[in-house]
Amino acid sequence: MLSVKNLHAKIGEKEILKGINLEVKAGEVHAIMGPNGSGKSTLASVLAGRTDYDVTEGSVHFLGKDLLELAPEERAGEGLFLAFQYPVEIPGVSTTNFMKSAVNEIRKYRGEDSMDAVQFLKMFKEKMAYVNIDQSLLSRALNEGFSGGEKKRNEIFQMAVLNPKLAILDETDSGLDIDALRIVAEGVNKLKNPENATIIVTHYQRLLDYIVPDFVHVLYNGRIVKSGTKELALELEERGYDWIISALEN
Amino acid sequence: MLDTKLAESLQQIDLIDENKKLALSHFLAKGFPTHRLEEWKYASLKSLNDVSWAWQTDQKIVDLGQPAWQNGGLFQTANGHTTVKGSLPDGILFLSWEEFSKANADFMPIFEMRNPILDQNPMYDLNTALITESNVLWVKKGVHVSLPFLHQFFVDSTEKPLAVQSKLCIYMESDAEITWIEQQFSGEHSQEIMSNYVQDIWVGERSKLTLLKDQDFGPTTTQVDQTFIFQQTDSWVDMFTFSVNAAYLRNNLHFYIDGPGVMSNLNGLYVPAEDQLMDSHTVVDHRMPHSASNELYKGVLLGNSVGVFNGKIFVRPDAQKTNAFQSCKNVLASDRATMNTKPQLEIWADDVKCSHGTTTGQLSDEALFYMRSRGISESSARTLLLLAFVQQVIDKVLNEDIRAGLSEKIINKIQNSLEFNA
Repeated sequence: MLSVKNLHAKIGEKEILKGINLEVKAGEVHAIMGPNGSGKSTLASVLAGRTDYDVTEGSVHFLGKDLLELAPEERAGEGLFLAFQYPVEIPGVSTTNFMKSAVNEIRKYRGEDSMDAVQFLKMFKEKMAYVNIDQSLLSRALNEGFSGGEKKRNEIFQMAVLNPKLAILDETDSGLDIDALRIVAEGVNKLKNPENATIIVTHYQRLLDYIVPDFVHVLYNGRIVKSGTKELALELEERGYDWIISALEN
Repeated sequence: MLDTKLAESLQQIDLIDENKKLALSHFLAKGFPTHRLEEWKYASLKSLNDVSWAWQTDQKIVDLGQPAWQNGGLFQTANGHTTVKGSLPDGILFLSWEEFSKANADFMPIFEMRNPILDQNPMYDLNTALITESNVLWVKKGVHVSLPFLHQFFVDSTEKPLAVQSKLCIYMESDAEITWIEQQFSGEHSQEIMSNYVQDIWVGERSKLTLLKDQDFGPTTTQVDQTFIFQQTDSWVDMFTFSVNAAYLRNNLHFYIDGPGVMSNLNGLYVPAEDQLMDSHTVVDHRMPHSASNELYKGVLLGNSVGVFNGKIFVRPDAQKTNAFQSCKNVLASDRATMNTKPQLEIWADDVKCSHGTTTGQLSDEALFYMRSRGISESSARTLLLLAFVQQVIDKVLNEDIRAGLSEKIINKIQNSLEFNA
């Protein structure tokens, strides 16, 4: 589904990704872990198409398409979704209106008919149950004055509505208390099926207690330096990142 | 100083009234205001000095029609001449300034002693000198009219550049309530027009006025609109200025708070595009204690347009316990547009709450990326954000038909401009 080869990216003059290789297949859950500043969020941003970064080398293919050639909205149209670490406030635009625009633009991109108000109502109602989100929150200006937990739940609600083939969750666990974390994780688990895939970018192992990854990768200094199964995450939780780093340096 | 030819054409006008003569001499001394006058720094009318204006016109105006929602009183001002269509409710009179002054002999000394007009500018003098017709809407004590009055303010010249002076006053006695909707527009194929409009509005004790100006002129119209509102004890005014289209729009809006318990709400929205210039100068003059003013102005600047906001709040020594708030927010939706803002607060009383804030910025890149990452195209994302931005002011209009009409017009203008420049 996703094939990242030798990906290099810089912001300004600073090279942050220094040759990432990653293969993700349908039905898989990958966790990308690593210390602060290792390039985790940069990888998520580059995949979603944030323009602050320059890709200097390498390739990314998503379902056979050259992802780097596509605008962010086209990537969404192809079925990519990024849950933001810091969801942005959109003053004056309610979640409902925002999602209606998003869904219909994506449908247009795919050559499908627009959905009408009745269909939306039904769909929203169904998806709201995934993350236990309240109608009143969806009527408010998107993320404006939302608590940390509300913002993250709203991200997962959007994910449920857009039903992506590949979801990237960027530090979705940051700023969440344990109850909110559980709700968010349950939402992600309910959305999981053999046709889609998930990449979880996280600093802590905490979220992985609830969303069990098939693969765990350690990102350090712009490269994936170690890959393994879910046991690797537990080991990281216990021993930290230093043992991997010092093994590398020796 | 005016161009000699222009000065001559004005001097040929035979004025009998001494006040008018004096006003004309003031205008002739300076001509149309240029950037040399501080208050007109960003909105010079210098080029108008080179136009050979007709100062009067005999042009007949055809029926302006009326919108379907309109079922209250209808007023039409065409090139400065106002007529009333249909009959007016009991307790509402429409008469000339002369008739009004005769009928209100007691009021005249009070009116003449009203606060001196700030910014004694050449345009005010020009209006005083050359005004041919000045009318008053007189609302008697205790009269409440729930349906809005519609005022169609129209300017047009088929032959040569025309300078139009218009004046319409509203006098509300105590305990009255009306809504005045003013649609300002110009003929589709009009020659150049310089429309100079003055409104004096007196809002009596405990009276309530809703006043909305929808300014949507053609590309050859320059409009200078000077509105002076004198508010008496416990009166309430909701003011809306929607500046949609004109080559040049200058709004001078002055509130004089002359009693305690007054509420003044000033709402403004301007969306200049192309080479349009829109300038809002507001003054809220708190002269008495225990009153409140709220000012919310927003602008979306498109194309090569220029916007100006100058908001003055005065809190005089007697105006203790005043609450005065001002906010002006602007989005530059084009790299070529400019916005000039200047809030000016002068506070002489010590027990007051005042705040002001002006911002001018571009749409947030973060917000645009967030929206695009959800599949919304960049142009749709921009449109959505801008519409949400202007909606805050439009939503304050209570009348549903008027709100819907304005909303549609403003949305179309923003969308067209974004597509044009895409």
